[in-house]
Amino acid sequence: MSEAVVSTRIRLARNLREYPFPIRLSADKAQEIVAKVGEALTDCGIKFHKIDSDNVSDTILVSMIERHLVSPDFVNGERGRAVYLSDDNTVSIMVNEEDHIRLQVIKDGFALDEAYELADKVDNILSKKLNFAFSDRLGYLTQCPTNLGTGMRASVMLHLPALDMSTAAYRIGANLSKLGLTMRGLYGESTKPSGAFFQLSNQVTLGISEKAAIENLKNITTQLIAQEMRARDGILGDIEVEDKISRALGILKTAKLMDHSEAMSLLSLVRLGVTSKKLETLSADSIDKLIVEIQPASIMSRCGEDMSPRDRDIKRAEIIRNKFN
Amino acid sequence: MLCQHCNKNEATTHVKTMINGEYTEYWLCPECAHELGYDNMFPDFHTDFGGLLSSFFSNALPARSGAARCKSCGSTLNDIKHTGKVGCADCYDTFFSELMPTIRSVHGNTEHKGKRPGAIEYTVNDDGAGNKSENTDKLSSLKAELKKAIEDENFERAAQLRDEIKGLEA
Repeated sequence: MSEAVVSTRIRLARNLREYPFPIRLSADKAQEIVAKVGEALTDCGIKFHKIDSDNVSDTILVSMIERHLVSPDFVNGERGRAVYLSDDNTVSIMVNEEDHIRLQVIKDGFALDEAYELADKVDNILSKKLNFAFSDRLGYLTQCPTNLGTGMRASVMLHLPALDMSTAAYRIGANLSKLGLTMRGLYGESTKPSGAFFQLSNQVTLGISEKAAIENLKNITTQLIAQEMRARDGILGDIEVEDKISRALGILKTAKLMDHSEAMSLLSLVRLGVTSKKLETLSADSIDKLIVEIQPASIMSRCGEDMSPRDRDIKRAEIIRNKFN
Repeated sequence: MLCQHCNKNEATTHVKTMINGEYTEYWLCPECAHELGYDNMFPDFHTDFGGLLSSFFSNALPARSGAARCKSCGSTLNDIKHTGKVGCADCYDTFFSELMPTIRSVHGNTEHKGKRPGAIEYTVNDDGAGNKSENTDKLSSLKAELKKAIEDENFERAAQLRDEIKGLEA
């Protein structure tokens, strides 16, 4: 499974009954909510640290998007936002993003039940101290009606290089919406798929329980992986595809300049080679970690914020060479 | 065959489209296919939800509740339509009849199923005992099983099922 599933995420949207939603929230009230969430998390058994969006540079914030710890909306929005991160970066609680609380759990590989269990646990901790907006009919009340009900978005990050190459895969995407699911690019809403990495998540949150939505997603993911594996069998005997994969590794090992999109396509090919046992080099896990490291803001947060795109391309090529050689 | 877009390169991509019931097909070279967005495996995914939502709202039924402004947060229906965002929890009561058509078209449902605040026992592996709507699901599946048991003349199982159903309905 881990050949095609990079990571799993569960996100729960919650709002406090006694405050207007973020679109109508004053800066003072926003700070009150940040403090209340902090109080609810003290002595809960999991250690969290707080990051205020106002006190951190944009580069750091963007590098947190690249690691999926916060959403792009969180960084682009108003002042008065904060995120509580667990020490192992598995749990992140964004405050005053689109909803008062966006609780997220991220796990490596295909781990929907495990991720939900942890999200559920943290949600229970919060709900002991906080009064969540909830209605019997509409479930958890959210700023955007698309999240009403469970407020849960469960998603899996998939690497589907063979399906991406084959034109037969066209219809899969179009059919997913009929199953209450949606497929997007690597960084969530309205981003272009990059390096054949896709995010598959449930679309419908009202009228379907957490359990049923997760089962549905599991089911479709399993089918999609099976299709990907069949597509791989179809293309991997092809000398032209194998040549592409080997050349990709050659370039990664030697190049001196590497822009982001080239790196993503080459790493995607090498990941395909490694998971299909056609190449012996870094493990898929190490490649997944490398993919995060070579994102623009992640490079800058490590190597200095005043880097030009060209400096970054040089640095990116260097990071990649060091990993592969 | 030459690409029908640039008329220069060899066409490799065959595109069939159905727009407003009108069927067209043409051949493109890789460059033009890329330029026109036909090399993307998931062409329809980048749905802008805000946009989608405001278009849903504009199709919503005419105002029935008559409330001009939410008493708690001051939002008007126009504010909500315009931003695709609801102002506060009370807006869902204030503009219930105006929001319902949108909610129904987004989710295909209007009744919550699943976790409730305070119901600590509910986990993903729980069948949701004590949860009304989950019970309804269970009830209908038990009834279907009962029907089958009677058809199969498995009366012992049927009696068990009958008792279970009684218990749930009580």
